[in-house]
Amino acid sequence: MSAPICVVHAATMENLPRFLGFIDDVCADLDADSHTKYALRLAVEEICINLIDYGYRGRPPGPIELIAQDHDDRVTLVIRDRSPPFDPTFSPAPDLTSDAEHRMPGGLGWYLVKQLFDEIRYAADTPAGNVLTIVKRKAK
Amino acid sequence: MEIELRSADGITIVGIRGNVDGLTADELMRTFSERVSEGSVRLVADCASLDYTSSAGLRSLLGAVKLARQHGGDLRLAAIQQQVLRVLDLSGFTSILKTYPDVQSAVGSFVEQA
Repeated sequence: MSAPICVVHAATMENLPRFLGFIDDVCADLDADSHTKYALRLAVEEICINLIDYGYRGRPPGPIELIAQDHDDRVTLVIRDRSPPFDPTFSPAPDLTSDAEHRMPGGLGWYLVKQLFDEIRYAADTPAGNVLTIVKRKAK
Repeated sequence: MEIELRSADGITIVGIRGNVDGLTADELMRTFSERVSEGSVRLVADCASLDYTSSAGLRSLLGAVKLARQHGGDLRLAAIQQQVLRVLDLSGFTSILKTYPDVQSAVGSFVEQA
């Protein structure tokens, strides 16, 4: 198991490249399969954009802290924020079946995160803020 | 993300390279919109070098296919990498977008239709 690596920036679109650069660097050093690396980048992007667009909407952008840790058989990603709580495990299901003309693209981000990760835990309003923990088991 | 445009048999081929994400998806949508407004409504996205898409990229593809079909054309996807195909599958996009193993067969599907 490696030591956790973390980064914290304000929740703004200007900082999105920094969050993505962080996870790209983590993935470059990660002893994991390409599915796991893809899932990690997607999760960082979807979760950061949700916090930027919705979590802190109408208020000054607070922090997003990312903490990644490589274990032998899995990778954990912890996302901490100080926005009003939103438990993604209760996010609405997206439209997956309408024809193209009627298809609405909302909700796909959280849906993909839930599909691509093995475990998702959320704790609201802890002393460290809202804490989302997602776990991806590495392919054998 | 880098976009390269070319054409074959009257079909516009949009080569997408790299990552389509929240930073680049709008540019991809703009590229498709511009082609349609120029009258190029039969579009093939060459995904051979597309390494990554998030939900932002899926929104662009959905917007583009709706737009192309509204104008009597279509957007078809070719040579999709395994990881990207998985995201398209999970999102139910392979049921609304036609996919082909390579650009040649995607272009050919339009030609056969004509």
